[in-house]
Amino acid sequence: MELWLSILITLIKILVVLGVFLGIGAYLTWFERKLAGHIQARIGPKLVGPFGLLQPLADGIKLLTKESVIPQNADKPVYYLAVVMAVAPALLLFSVIPFGPGFKLFGYEIKPIISDVNIALLLVFAFGSLAVYGTIFSGWASNSKYAFIGSLRKSAVVISYEVVLGFSVLGVILLAGTMSTTGIVQAQIERGVWFIVYQPVAFILYLFCMLAESGRVPFDIQEAEAELVTGYNVEYGGMRFGVFPLAEWYLNVMALSAIAVVLFFGGWSGPPIFGPLSPYLWFLIKMFALVFFVLWLHWTLPRFQARDITEIGWKIMLPISIVNVVATAIVAYIM
Amino acid sequence: MPWMNRATADRVKFEFKDVDVEFTKHTTNLHVKQEKLIDLLTHLKEKEGYRHFIDHTCIDFPDKRERFQGIYILYNPDTNERVIVKTWAKDGKLPSLEKLWHCARWAEREAYDMFGVEYEGHENLRRMFMWEGYPYHPLRKDFPLEGFPEVELPSLTELYAGRTEPPSHDYEVMHTRVATLEDLEKTEKSRLQKKAQLMLNWGPLHPGTHGTIWFLFDLDGERVVQSDVILGQLHRGMEKIAENIYYFQFLPYTDRMDYISAICNELSYVTAVEKLLGVEVPEKARYIRTMFAELQRINSHLLWLGTGALDLGALTVFLYAFREREKIMDIIEGNAGFRLTSAFLRIGGVHYDLAEGTLDVVKAFIKDFPNRLKEYHDLLTRNRIWLRRTKEIGVISREDVFNYGLTGPVARGSGVPYDIRKLEPYAAYDEVEFDIPVGEVGDVYDRYLVRMEEMVQSLRIIEQCVAKLEKLPKSAPYVNKEHPAVMAPKEDVFMDLEDMVKNFRIVVHGESAPPGEVYASGENPRGELGFYIYSKGGSKPYRLRIRSGALYNLSIFPKLIQDGTIADAIALLGSLDPVVGETDR
Repeated sequence: MELWLSILITLIKILVVLGVFLGIGAYLTWFERKLAGHIQARIGPKLVGPFGLLQPLADGIKLLTKESVIPQNADKPVYYLAVVMAVAPALLLFSVIPFGPGFKLFGYEIKPIISDVNIALLLVFAFGSLAVYGTIFSGWASNSKYAFIGSLRKSAVVISYEVVLGFSVLGVILLAGTMSTTGIVQAQIERGVWFIVYQPVAFILYLFCMLAESGRVPFDIQEAEAELVTGYNVEYGGMRFGVFPLAEWYLNVMALSAIAVVLFFGGWSGPPIFGPLSPYLWFLIKMFALVFFVLWLHWTLPRFQARDITEIGWKIMLPISIVNVVATAIVAYIM
Repeated sequence: MPWMNRATADRVKFEFKDVDVEFTKHTTNLHVKQEKLIDLLTHLKEKEGYRHFIDHTCIDFPDKRERFQGIYILYNPDTNERVIVKTWAKDGKLPSLEKLWHCARWAEREAYDMFGVEYEGHENLRRMFMWEGYPYHPLRKDFPLEGFPEVELPSLTELYAGRTEPPSHDYEVMHTRVATLEDLEKTEKSRLQKKAQLMLNWGPLHPGTHGTIWFLFDLDGERVVQSDVILGQLHRGMEKIAENIYYFQFLPYTDRMDYISAICNELSYVTAVEKLLGVEVPEKARYIRTMFAELQRINSHLLWLGTGALDLGALTVFLYAFREREKIMDIIEGNAGFRLTSAFLRIGGVHYDLAEGTLDVVKAFIKDFPNRLKEYHDLLTRNRIWLRRTKEIGVISREDVFNYGLTGPVARGSGVPYDIRKLEPYAAYDEVEFDIPVGEVGDVYDRYLVRMEEMVQSLRIIEQCVAKLEKLPKSAPYVNKEHPAVMAPKEDVFMDLEDMVKNFRIVVHGESAPPGEVYASGENPRGELGFYIYSKGGSKPYRLRIRSGALYNLSIFPKLIQDGTIADAIALLGSLDPVVGETDR
């Protein structure tokens, strides 16, 4: 394949993924508000468009037309960089997610994944760790005590849960024998069984880490509106403010759910009941089931406090995950 | 609640020769010289068991030689007796009681702020409500109600267009003083000396404080090394206002103190005034009062539950609580005509008879509410995260309940069954059955459980009130209009000349109260709300002191939060549940 063609195909894939997931991210706000409304015995958005469907649009326009206020003593370059650092890692996560099996188009083999690399999972961890810089930078640069405390809390959480996340995924890597995301899905399809059957503990640990990484309830301590107003993004206004929840609460949750689907739920595998689109739809259905679960938790539970979260992370979840890895390794060696 | 009995008084008299014991109609007063005050109070606390500090305030007598009289109200939880100790401030000075009762520190600061009485031995004698540098003491008799107009505050129009002739607005040009930013900075600096890493301000406007309180935290990481509270952002001078208007006119002001439990406030106030005036209240009015006070209590606890859970991140409980709250609001609105500051009670009865269908609505509510309570329990009570956030946080010992003058659910959460409704029944509380839930540990979780159970008990009371009210004939009186100090209901005023003349006289001249003093209190959702009325006769109180439960409950906050985290602070503050309208008055 010629170079320019492969670049072109990759560009098209990037545009499709960006368009689809940014769009879904925006509509996830509508979905979350509707869902929260029904959980809380109210209706949710209903006035803008049919069923309030144009609400994300209205929100976007509102955020974009807001006056931009920047605190006087803010460190301006870092202040802006924080926005980029918040949203870029969340988007980059989508680059290693395989949405379906490869297919042939005009004689070219096309894989519905932006970059099918063999260290995909390592990349996932790297991007996850990068995301913390967005929080740290925003807290530091806005020169506000609330923001500062919020960002420190968040980094404490992310550091402790990165470790657990890594260990919880190791089991799956051992079973699949590869770090490539497509490889892991293939391994599950070949065995005909999803890895959640072999690794239920790892999945629960992963779920916890996913909530912690994306700052969802019960781990939303960096926000904690009662104590810290809204935490690390308190000094941001307009769309700059809007980017933070979009990146953390929607893109991150979707990306991590997608990775969970790849690792534990057999990726795109499923009975072909939707015709040729079947793999993609299965992937999306599984992903949204997880996203729904996260939203559901958000509107049900209270939040932990920072001390408890790190304590649970280091003292309970890390030992469990290590035991899980060792057990998996031994079993895999014997079998 | 009975007052100190003769035997105890004789014992005290035997111990302290120069103590004068005075048995008035409603109280027992011990008069003591200023030098002997500490000795007497120590004796009362340690030997006689008067260890619960209720209140301290001063009265200003400009024509007396010593001018300021200090009033201490104490309570003996063993014999269920109160006593008032009075002493004259020699040269405007009183000894500080902070070694005996810690909460006296705040009461003394308030008296210092309002009267300018100096307290010897007070560790940090700062103004309580007014800002540092404010030159006056507002509750002194020579301070006019409207204040001293001495600062020019131009209107917005004047700022842009300059002074015009005729003036652009009809306000006075000169105003009383307003705190400037420098004043506030000075106030902040004088409260807390930074010891640790980071000074964090909460307030005056902050989502976690439920009102305009101003918290200062000195933080070491997330650990609170020391903290202080700056009050007064909502200070309206209720006590000063009360001294300048008739008794019945002050009633709507009480609504605006603890604005979440307006009817309970009114009930405490009318109980005190009725005691002073000697008004009997008809049976129907008593039951209506009890029913509405309990509805208001549930209403208030629901707000506490919703906001408390919201603070800890449980967003849904908030809306569930408000859904039920709305129903109670509707019941109150249907009867009083107002939702929040209802002004429903009157001296001698209630404003309106029960609206048609009220009892049916209340019955439907009683039937439905236990299911809702179960929902709240399902969401929170055994939730691991909730337990982790509330268990073993902010533990209040029984001694601290007495030392800090804690009352209400906060005291009961620590296992002290202090409930005015049982100890000194007012309205119809002696005729209904209910239990007092108490906690064991005294942490945030216990206070949560106590309040949840109180809602169940309130429901029981309401049920009994409804049963009783259904039996009473519709024509039963709801106002004791025979009493000369009680206004007749409106429909009588329009139809009856005699009633009209009487109302006219009361509205113009006020009720004439006999000279004397009375302390009466009611069990509010936020603790004991007491009214100490000192009357010299006439239609206005000479001094009306409001003992705020929320203020005393808040006074333990800086102690409890020490070495906690700011995440604990929010849980703790929710469990103490102060309302700024009442702490500041």
